[in-house]
Amino acid sequence: MLSYLLRRLAFMVPTLLGITLMVFMLLALAPGGIGAGLAVQGGQMSDTSRVAQMQAYLEDRYGLNDPVIVQYVRWLGRLSPVKFGTRDLRDGNGERVPAPRAIDDPPLATAFPVPAVTVPSLAIATGEGAIPQFKKLQRDAEGTRREYVGKVRLFKDAIADYARAAGSPLKERLNGKGGADPRDFSDVAFDHSNAAWPKLEKAAADMHTAHTAAVVAQVQATEAFHAHPYPTSGIPIIPDVVSLDTPDLGVAFSKNRPVWDLIAAALPVTLLINLIAFPISYLIAVPTGVLASVRRGGLFDTFSGFLYLSLYSIPTVLAGVFAIGFLANKQYLGWFPVSGLHESGSEAYTFMPFTDASGVWQRGYLLDTLWHVGLPVLCLVYGSFAVLSKQTRASMLDNFSADYVRTAKAKGVPRKDVVLRHVFRNSLLPLITMFVGIFPAMLAGSVVIERIFSVPGMGSLVIEAIDLRDRELILADTFLIACVNMLALLLADILYAAADPRVSYD
Amino acid sequence: MSPSAVKTSHDQSTQDAVRAMSGGVGSAERLAIPVLEVADLAVSFDNSSGGPRIQAVNGVHMTLFPQQTLAVVGESGCGKSVTAMSTMQLIARPPGRFDRGSILFEGRDIVSLSEEEMLSIRGGKIAMIFQEPMTSLNPVYNIGDQLMEAIFLHQKVGPDEAKRIAVQAMKDVGIKKPEERLAMYPHQFSGGMRQRVMIAMALACRPKVLLADEPTTALDVTIQAQILELLRELQRTRDMGIMLITHNLGVVAENADVVCVMYAGRVVEYANVFELFDEPLHPYTRGLFRSIPMLRDTRERLVTIKDVTHDPAEFRKIPGVIPWWPDMPPGVRPEGAPDRDEHVLVEVRPNRWVGCWRTPELEARSHRRPSLDYRRGDR
Repeated sequence: MLSYLLRRLAFMVPTLLGITLMVFMLLALAPGGIGAGLAVQGGQMSDTSRVAQMQAYLEDRYGLNDPVIVQYVRWLGRLSPVKFGTRDLRDGNGERVPAPRAIDDPPLATAFPVPAVTVPSLAIATGEGAIPQFKKLQRDAEGTRREYVGKVRLFKDAIADYARAAGSPLKERLNGKGGADPRDFSDVAFDHSNAAWPKLEKAAADMHTAHTAAVVAQVQATEAFHAHPYPTSGIPIIPDVVSLDTPDLGVAFSKNRPVWDLIAAALPVTLLINLIAFPISYLIAVPTGVLASVRRGGLFDTFSGFLYLSLYSIPTVLAGVFAIGFLANKQYLGWFPVSGLHESGSEAYTFMPFTDASGVWQRGYLLDTLWHVGLPVLCLVYGSFAVLSKQTRASMLDNFSADYVRTAKAKGVPRKDVVLRHVFRNSLLPLITMFVGIFPAMLAGSVVIERIFSVPGMGSLVIEAIDLRDRELILADTFLIACVNMLALLLADILYAAADPRVSYD
Repeated sequence: MSPSAVKTSHDQSTQDAVRAMSGGVGSAERLAIPVLEVADLAVSFDNSSGGPRIQAVNGVHMTLFPQQTLAVVGESGCGKSVTAMSTMQLIARPPGRFDRGSILFEGRDIVSLSEEEMLSIRGGKIAMIFQEPMTSLNPVYNIGDQLMEAIFLHQKVGPDEAKRIAVQAMKDVGIKKPEERLAMYPHQFSGGMRQRVMIAMALACRPKVLLADEPTTALDVTIQAQILELLRELQRTRDMGIMLITHNLGVVAENADVVCVMYAGRVVEYANVFELFDEPLHPYTRGLFRSIPMLRDTRERLVTIKDVTHDPAEFRKIPGVIPWWPDMPPGVRPEGAPDRDEHVLVEVRPNRWVGCWRTPELEARSHRRPSLDYRRGDR
């Protein structure tokens, strides 16, 4: 059994690689590529040079201008618990502190010579002052780098303008979107009489100034970084070559927050709703399915089948709107809150219900939360009875006609025991299959229900991520769901072995 | 011993001899009381396609004595299994229904017993084994659990005692190392072993009647012989009556004391095994025997039952009666008695019963129900 488990766990690695690669490639293949959402956000700004700078900066920051496969491997490297190369630093919040990134050389160095950069020496602070100093240097490095990357983009635009002004054949070197790749212009002797020349010259000068500042800041920040202002993270296996570290899901582009923080905030909400909903649906659907199979064709069977299928046929969207309209609307019943997860001011509540100073009964945090999740749970549960109950019923009926049931009856086993001990026990396998399916569903959350009731769960998080093409968030979510799915399937196989002695993995 | 050698075994003297062999006069008296009497049983089922009710069993009589093996023979659908299932009250009602008749066991009519009363009889006093040993055991419980479930249901014993009984039951059916085997699951047993377990389970509570519904059909010939030998041996030591349902005439010839031939829900012939094999009286029984291929008999085409039952002469061989048959050849079907069932079981010779058409002349005669307190003496 143990070797089987280990083998199964080992097989998960290539499967996960395949899943993440596919998701990554799908995102990359999507029209507009990975950074489309960011481009849209940037595009809302009116100043075109700012847009160019912003885009260039974001692409640079998230490495979006590298080939897709490089981006994927980088993502994997962060996720992998086994790290190669020097170890990362981690700040007080446990967030990974990246080394200041290298500054690319300015393009077209032959036509526009790069001035030599001298880096003024800097006293690296130690002890107390180390972290504030590093933070400042890091900020400077980021700022100057952003400036520089933006200037490079403007320089490229200037080359494009120049080419357009120069006309054929230079104009043909522009790409389809009318942009210029400086490498295509390395052999050009720039004509100072061209109408666009002054602008180009100025763009080059700006770029060189920004470059100098960026290099200075980068070198200083790197120096400070190598002085280890923060503790290094991870456990070295071979120092500076291989180390173990906690996996890092990265930073969500759209919110500029670590993905893990976002998930850690949304997951408990979804889990809460599902952990209330699933037991309810199982505790109602399975017994009624058993009863329906025992009274096959009877009034209960017909009625429960009709009721469940009717409920199943109501779209969640409609049910959610009706639930809010009738059950939450103060003009009707007003039994439940309309949206959200807590009453405003619920932070002040104690966990259990209490009576305040003026003798008024207060719900307390627990009941407040349960009250708020009431409608979302209702909407999650009502449609689930049909499938589960029908599956139980079908599985029971399969076994009712089995030979061993006849044997049990012939032994004189009372009907109740025949149903529960013999038939139901043998009907467990399909129920196990359905049961483990709830784990990935729990993690994924329900988009529709969370949207309708404004619940900040996993479903809302993911749909937002997809809207904004937030690569890190989508990847992290699919990765986690894939992991849970595979663990759930493994759990199913273990449960099969427990439920059926014929199943053995030795 | 060939069947003809005991042609006169229905004689009182032979019966006494058999009883004497089983030991003691008290024993003989006990053995002469039937343990199970099925009388005029009729069971019908709802027709799911909407037609008239399907009459699975229509006026069946049979009597089973202790230590006796009553073979019920007939083709599929003739009502053998329905008779046995009715005896256990395992017919689902609806769609099934007891139309008339009774099944007497220990002076009580099983047909009229409530479900609670049946629970103590099922498995406790009347046990049943089935033809599919591969699927008749619950795959998710081990052998011990399943055996002891039966023991706990019918005997007031503690877990240790139940285990001892289970081990003994396994030993009785010839399973080696029973203690270890109790913890094993059905899928770890072969077909023959599973059927032994089924028998151990059925016999663990020492039933008075064992209904064996084709117990050896799914097994190969050597295992079949072992299982039947085992049943015979246990039957002798426990005074048990066995209703052996089969369509294997070889099994009948080897094991049965009395044979009840059924067709279309009716008993067509009822006799002791040797007399029946020596001289079948009903055309269907004759057809059945003639259709058995013989090793030295070279013919183009085997005799079918239809070849016999389509011959009017076959129906005129017994003086005074016409054997009953649902699909009579033209010209032989007699005038029936008005408003009565067309079929009646007539004792055409001492201890030989044949299903006949009920004519006004037969109506005047009184009819003894088939009851043969006979056990073969060859074992």
